[in-house]
Amino acid sequence: MSDSSYMGKILHIDLTREKFTDIDIPSWLRDSYLGGKGFGAKLLLDLVPENADPLGPDNVLMFLTGPLTSTPAPAMRACVVTKSPLTNTFLDSYFGGYFGPEIKYAGYDGLVFTGRSSEPVYLHINHKGPILKPAKDFWGQGAIECSQSIKEHLKDDQIKAATIGPAGENLVPYALICCETNRQAGRGGAGAVMGSKNLKAVALNGNSLVKIYDRKMFANAVAMAQREITESLDCRGLMATGTAGSVEFANETGLIPVRNFSDNTSALAAGLGDKGQSKKLWLGRSACFGCPIACSQMGAVRTGKFASFVTDIVEYETAAMLGTNLEIGDPRAVAHLNRLCDELGLDTISAGACVSFAFEAAGKGLINHLPDHELKFGNVQAAARLIELIARREGELGELLSLGVKQAAKQLGPEALSMAMHVKGLEMPAWGPRGTPGMGLAYMTADRGACHQRGFPAGYEATGMEWKGKPVKALELEGKAELVYSLQNYLAGTDCLVKCDFGAMGVSPETYALLCNAATGINIEASHFNRLGERIWNTTRIFNLREGMKTTDEKLPKRFVEEPLPGGPHKGHRITESDMKYLLQDYYKIRGWNKHGHPEEETLDKTGVIRDKTLSL
Amino acid sequence: MEKHRPGKFIRTHFDQCTGCSLCKAACSLHMFGGYNPGKAMLRIRHLWENLAHIPVVCEHCVNPMCLKVCPTKAIFKDETGIVIVDQEKCVSCGLCSQYCPLEMIYADPETGKAYKCDLCRGNPECVQACPFNALELRDQD
Repeated sequence: MSDSSYMGKILHIDLTREKFTDIDIPSWLRDSYLGGKGFGAKLLLDLVPENADPLGPDNVLMFLTGPLTSTPAPAMRACVVTKSPLTNTFLDSYFGGYFGPEIKYAGYDGLVFTGRSSEPVYLHINHKGPILKPAKDFWGQGAIECSQSIKEHLKDDQIKAATIGPAGENLVPYALICCETNRQAGRGGAGAVMGSKNLKAVALNGNSLVKIYDRKMFANAVAMAQREITESLDCRGLMATGTAGSVEFANETGLIPVRNFSDNTSALAAGLGDKGQSKKLWLGRSACFGCPIACSQMGAVRTGKFASFVTDIVEYETAAMLGTNLEIGDPRAVAHLNRLCDELGLDTISAGACVSFAFEAAGKGLINHLPDHELKFGNVQAAARLIELIARREGELGELLSLGVKQAAKQLGPEALSMAMHVKGLEMPAWGPRGTPGMGLAYMTADRGACHQRGFPAGYEATGMEWKGKPVKALELEGKAELVYSLQNYLAGTDCLVKCDFGAMGVSPETYALLCNAATGINIEASHFNRLGERIWNTTRIFNLREGMKTTDEKLPKRFVEEPLPGGPHKGHRITESDMKYLLQDYYKIRGWNKHGHPEEETLDKTGVIRDKTLSL
Repeated sequence: MEKHRPGKFIRTHFDQCTGCSLCKAACSLHMFGGYNPGKAMLRIRHLWENLAHIPVVCEHCVNPMCLKVCPTKAIFKDETGIVIVDQEKCVSCGLCSQYCPLEMIYADPETGKAYKCDLCRGNPECVQACPFNALELRDQD
């Protein structure tokens, strides 16, 4: 057999029976779904029994790589795929860093966990193979702390670990998985699924080699990809300021969340963006494996009441959701909340949305203040306390907010519904869509709920960037469905590699195809990613509909529909019921779905969704 | 002139290093024909929770302890001063890795055989792979 960057097998770990099985990856799966998100979409459909409890033993937790993960192809990642306890739908959550590549160095294209261990365990793989070990001594530890403890316990500093914190152990449905180093599979509650399986960590130190089909061709393709990144203005921006550079951009364009999305411009933005962070925090850059961008600005909180601790860059999403959204303007305070979430194992986006929900609800008298903390915007201590209560599901308020804003609002009654910023249960990320209806449609239709990474039309709408030779007009509805459809397809296709969104700002589709062909020996063209993505969108759609997702839930939070934008360039605008209806119907039509959003049989056939073959364990 | 260093050496600049490990990936490809940065002949020490990255490379010592402790003379200095392991003679005793203070000997976990940097005999792959200029090939004089 000729060399290839695929390892050719997946490790199935049955936690109930403590059994390991190597599963050969069938060629049909590789041909039709490539890797990463594609594998995840098909395997979730095949392996999760209908209506399985996301936090029960029947759910499947998968760590999946792509054909380019672990190679020097620039800016590659890996993903976690499972059924989300927050949305009850398909969930894919991506992470950079060093854990993803190590899955392949351990000899596998993916790790698939089923069942539930009777006691807390962690999976250890080294050159001797896989073994489950007791994790009783690590249970209760923070996610970052646990990663360190395991290395010390195993006396192996080369270990690359994925861990959960107390939030995952306590089954908070927006708990994250912390991946070596400082990288999180953040959204949608994969950490709770891991906790429900009594799996505290996965610790890898592999001894396998990832081979390349055509080394010379691959070296040329890597050089080309690196050149494209160096020449890309977007990538150069990320090299200089990471995503912190987006804070002021989002403020100027009126996309930034303020006080639970009740406002969209903030005087705090300048201090929370790259200027503020570089002055108060940053010391040096750090990169994920193989990435020439190195978007991470590592630093430390050296002074002030939160000193002292090491902090990664406060990413845009966090700077906005835990910063402007909570009216907290000191980047050191936001770094403190960020660190708290990372260690306790909570998604900073959902946590930020839950805290702002609580602040607003308390302001309107729907919930009581804490005995020691007034729940009001700008109160750092109150935010920190809420984050701890949520992660530990402590007290009535901790329990309530740990459900996520959708369920919490349901419990509080109709008045709270307009404060619950989510789509299909996933809390809104930090790009308010009222002045960018294409972005609104992207949120309504994203396969995991309100997500900005499944298609980011706001990048076109807010800047007037050209799409197919024409500048995109922000407020126009016409053409937005086609834009969303195209972006979603391409991103899903390249999420099979598994690409990083930041690398994709520079690397061209042609170069991705070339990298893939050189690494694996397959033969695809640049346009393949669009077709592959379309197949994946139909595959995840079947899964979501099977699991009871209602297409009537494909709608924006009430606030975006009823309350006009208070500021920014699109002041006064909102996305009305009829806007949403127009956008959705246009979108369903382009996707080949019926008016209720269900794929037509013909569409499934045409897009190549594999229905006559299933993988079983 | 038995005790000398190679004419060229790798100067490391930790302040430029981002920890990306492309150097190690290139090294593993050169040594073993596939990627696995854990099997590289150089290391990166990630300090302070990833705040600093310090590349460590073989010094090709004037006084190599790895060479001195080898019971089978599998480690030797070639005419250019590069310290080399002959895997044929290596008996996997592990003494060389035990006595390298920089941990620059890679012992294969399955075979126990020792491997180390040979400067790619003049044009190190790690230096070429670094996109951040954290590794630099310099002349001794």
